[in-house]
Amino acid sequence: MRIFGTILLFFIVFPLIFIRRNSVFQAVILYIIMDIAIFLVFIYVPTEKVQGIVQKIFYFHVSSAITMFLAFFIAFVASIMFLWKSSDWWDAVALSSVEIGVVFCTLVLITGPIWARPIWGAWWSWDPTLTLSLVLWLIYVAYLMLRADAHDPKRTRFAAVLGIVGFVDVPLIFWSVEKWRTLHPKPVLIQEGGTTGLTFAMLLTFVVCLGAFLLLFFYLLRERTSIAQSRYSLEVLRQEVDDLLAR
Amino acid sequence: MLSSKLFIRQVLALLAKDLKTEWRTREIFTSMFVFAVLVIVIFNFSIGADPELIHQVVSGVMWVALLFATVLGLQRAGQMEREEDSLYGVLLALSDSNALFVAKMIAQILYLLLLVICTLPLCSVWFRIDFLACIGGLWVVFALGILGLSIVGTLFAMVALHTRAHDVMLPMLFLPVTVPITISSVYATAQLIAGKNLKDIADYLTLMGIFDIIFFTLSLMIFDYFIEE
Repeated sequence: MRIFGTILLFFIVFPLIFIRRNSVFQAVILYIIMDIAIFLVFIYVPTEKVQGIVQKIFYFHVSSAITMFLAFFIAFVASIMFLWKSSDWWDAVALSSVEIGVVFCTLVLITGPIWARPIWGAWWSWDPTLTLSLVLWLIYVAYLMLRADAHDPKRTRFAAVLGIVGFVDVPLIFWSVEKWRTLHPKPVLIQEGGTTGLTFAMLLTFVVCLGAFLLLFFYLLRERTSIAQSRYSLEVLRQEVDDLLAR
Repeated sequence: MLSSKLFIRQVLALLAKDLKTEWRTREIFTSMFVFAVLVIVIFNFSIGADPELIHQVVSGVMWVALLFATVLGLQRAGQMEREEDSLYGVLLALSDSNALFVAKMIAQILYLLLLVICTLPLCSVWFRIDFLACIGGLWVVFALGILGLSIVGTLFAMVALHTRAHDVMLPMLFLPVTVPITISSVYATAQLIAGKNLKDIADYLTLMGIFDIIFFTLSLMIFDYFIEE
């Protein structure tokens, strides 16, 4: 167990170290790890006996779900920091994180039904986790619409409110939909007593896959944040030019 | 001590202003009430006349009507604030902008309570359900639910006020975030109608209570930050 913890920690800490370094280097490493993940999922790891080949989607489904929660958590923290410090950087981080989070959320909502169809016999079931993802998708799409609609940069404060409220709502939504209906398979990753329901090969594949997703997320986040910042400085410059011309 | 007295005085003054305007125009409550009745009637047509079925869905119909009426009421209230930019005048006069939030929230709670008092007898007659048998428990559910809807609704009404497509934005922000309240209030009401008592729905009541407390605290914490221009 300890070795996997170390690997996971490495994957989380790694992008932070490189956050302000050469992005090409990081992209190359990301590419290699993604290749390894795809190799592990499709060639290395044995097929699960009961569910068959469709179980392989687990590696992508759960990884994107975890990445999605991380993205919304980062948006939550960045929104608080933005309301507190009013720095444009935090705002850019919040916007970028929500945007990428919505992409991963969409992935969860697409891979979930593909997995559910052969296992549960239905494309969609209103089980807590899937319902939570759907509601989160609605909340954060509303966030993006609010951002697109806010007609001057000062109004981004209002989007930050939704960034905070949306994440605070997560446990409450989960609690309510869990009471409402339960069909989802109990998490196989960690079972009662701390033992895992996965074999060594599966766990290794899952950890590498999750690492690849997290790296991809951090890479996209950094690129998207720098675009958002460039756009903001462009706005400022354009404003200055307009003022000069008006004079 | 002085500041809290001032705060309460400001809240009451703002509330009195809102209620006086409402008493003279009767614009917000009338539109909410007519709309809620309309939703209930339309649902009645779409469900059909099967009394068994109606018994099962009546709590859902009532809460959907209440949710939509909340959105409508907040939109009307927002429209009134936007005219002549009266919101900025109010904000300039306040020492603590949270007073504005609390006053708007209380006004919204009062409208919704009045709406429930007016629509409950109608539902009882139309759907042939005896609400009097469980009226005590129903009030607890309605109080907690209405409080949650008003808190989140007031917060997002202030957000939506500053967007171009404000009338579209408000339901998009409001409805997904209030999903916990919607679920728990609908099911708590359904269980009460089915003859259960308050102890059986304690889980739902706890959830609603926690939702109300969290969002009230959160709103007070962030309202000051985002409303300042």
